[in-house]
Amino acid sequence: MRKINSIFIIDDDPITVFGIRKMLDTNVEFKTISTYGNGKLAIDGIKKVLNETKVIPEVIFLDINMPIMDGWQFLEEFIVLPIEEKVRINIVTSSIDPADYENFKHYNNKSHHLITFNTKPIKSTEIAAITIPAE
Amino acid sequence: MLKRSQIDTNNYLIKQLPKATAFLNEKLEVVYASDLWVKDFEFTNGKVIGQKISDLLKHISGDLQKDFKECLKGKIGSRIKECYPDKDNPKNWTEWINIPWYDEKENIIGIIVQTEVITKKINNDSNIERLQLLLQEKSSNANIGSWQYDADLNSLWWCDMTKQIHEIDANFIPKIETCFDFYKEGHSKNTISMAFFEASEKGLPWKEKLQIVTEKGNEKWIVTTGKPIYKDDKCIGLVGTFRDINEQVLTNKKTKENELLLRTLFDSLPLNVFVKDLDSRKILVNKAELNFLGLKNESEALGKTDFDFLNKKNALIGREEDIRVMENGIPMLKKETTNIKKDGTITSFLTSKIPLKAASGEITGLVGINLDISDIKNKEKELKNLIDVTSLQNKKLVNFAHIVSHNLRSHTANFSMLLEFLVSEKDEKEKENLVKMLVKASDHLLETMNNLNEVVVINTNVNLKKKNISLNKKIKSVEKNLSVFFKNKNAKIINTINDDVKINVIPAYLDSILMNLFTNAIMYKSPDRDPIITLGTTNENGYKILSINDNGLGIDLKKYGDKLFGMYKTFHDNADAKGIGLFLTKNQIEAMGGKITASSEVGKGTTFNLYFNEKN
Repeated sequence: MRKINSIFIIDDDPITVFGIRKMLDTNVEFKTISTYGNGKLAIDGIKKVLNETKVIPEVIFLDINMPIMDGWQFLEEFIVLPIEEKVRINIVTSSIDPADYENFKHYNNKSHHLITFNTKPIKSTEIAAITIPAE
Repeated sequence: MLKRSQIDTNNYLIKQLPKATAFLNEKLEVVYASDLWVKDFEFTNGKVIGQKISDLLKHISGDLQKDFKECLKGKIGSRIKECYPDKDNPKNWTEWINIPWYDEKENIIGIIVQTEVITKKINNDSNIERLQLLLQEKSSNANIGSWQYDADLNSLWWCDMTKQIHEIDANFIPKIETCFDFYKEGHSKNTISMAFFEASEKGLPWKEKLQIVTEKGNEKWIVTTGKPIYKDDKCIGLVGTFRDINEQVLTNKKTKENELLLRTLFDSLPLNVFVKDLDSRKILVNKAELNFLGLKNESEALGKTDFDFLNKKNALIGREEDIRVMENGIPMLKKETTNIKKDGTITSFLTSKIPLKAASGEITGLVGINLDISDIKNKEKELKNLIDVTSLQNKKLVNFAHIVSHNLRSHTANFSMLLEFLVSEKDEKEKENLVKMLVKASDHLLETMNNLNEVVVINTNVNLKKKNISLNKKIKSVEKNLSVFFKNKNAKIINTINDDVKINVIPAYLDSILMNLFTNAIMYKSPDRDPIITLGTTNENGYKILSINDNGLGIDLKKYGDKLFGMYKTFHDNADAKGIGLFLTKNQIEAMGGKITASSEVGKGTTFNLYFNEKN
């Protein structure tokens, strides 16, 4: 498995962030992990990366329910960014609201990125599979 | 010569006879003739004597010729009517009486004829006959009989029709003593007895509508008239008519009854019914319509139009409908109409307008029928409100279910994940760390449970009763509780609410709502200025509206509008924000039958409008 350059974790729940990070540490090879408490902080971070280092994240773990800017609002802004590479975005949520799944399908169709829908909790055994970067 | 002179003397005498007379010899030649005879037959004088009667008269009937022959044999003839034409009259009638003419020796020497012109009499006789026939015909067709009373003979006469009306035999001979027995006891009998008395004694005529009981026992309505006849100022009797009006009276009665029945039906209908003429003027209205118009008497409504009772726009629509119905002849059926009267009262009707046609088929107006469906309409509205409330409740319930499941799931997911780590963790220090995190997760779960419980309590607690309390008192007490917080942030309240404003609320909820909104206004204050909260009230459609305005950061409602009152939604970079305050506020105001809205401008401030339901 090749080494992943950059992973983003966007979630306001510190325990979830801790968990994902711990699983990635033991299961996946990567260079950097950046974490953001809400969508707004994350989109600002990505815009900054685009302007400076151009090292865009290959895999993003994205929570839906967050203050200030939630997962959907983040996606809305992210998919219009001038990113040619196909980014893997794993939506990670505890929501079972069908409306959320509909939203996911909507963005999946709308974007050239690979978007997946995952329900919490994520098992250590699954983490490697969903952290394989998109082609 | 003597003989000659004798003849001349005879001739002279006969000429002057006062009756038309002629002497004929055996050859039926005229020997003598009175001037009257010559004149009656219009013979030319001097050309009569010596002429044969058959030559003088153009036509002699066989009867007369036979009579002449019999007469010459000594038989006295009978009266014979002869018809002959003359220049004025195609039908002249004369009556002939012929007797034998004897000489001194009793020898028959001719015939003495006496004639009389009877044309007039004949005509009169046939006239009377005709009149009698006519009268008979008339009386039988019109059911009018007649009667006469001869005072001298004390005799009463009834015509056939009078007898028929009494249903009595044609041979019956009425008597004045018993004839009143046919009248019905009571009013009828008393009236006719009195009338008869007054007529005979005072000469007063009568005309009365009375009831008789016929020979066969049937009751009948009749009209009897009577009039005294005078001769030399003395009443010699009475004449009168007797008319059967039973059918007419019964028909009239029936018609009246039918009219009454129709009117009663018309007035008792639980529908507003009216008839309009071509100019949409009311020409007939029933009780229900009168009640609707707020009138007592039909006369107040007649001749008036919708313009007299409804507002102008309404009346115009009505008039257009009328014209359409009357022009096309097509009824307008069961159209839902809203009628606003001049006093502003609104009534919903199911209106039908049907063209009214005269016997000739020409449209002369319309019949209108209005069914008051205001109650049904109100029920419909109530039902719709109920459905709205129910669907809102349902939506809230689904929403709440998602909130619960989402929040519980996120915590349990954390538990599950942390426990998985703990099981496979070797490092003691890391194990300790994981346990700490588990405790934290447990605390969060507990807090979430408490918050959710609070929401459940708000939505299900029906024991809390609303009270009418002074709004300002409540505001002041909340302000006092927050006084330290207000002082620290240099905040102040500008209250424009009158002290007498009272609102109908669950006091604890109002406490919590004010506390939340005041705290928010200060927590999200603008860094550039001291927080100022402005309070005011207005009234709208049964709601008392409390507006709480601040000069804080404001919030982009385009972005966050739909989430503003959501659970665990926060919008500012504030570590203290839990995203529960507005969620609870919304639940509390809705539990009191009210609602909350917000308007905001980023950088300027936010206004929350709290709608307190005044009714329940």
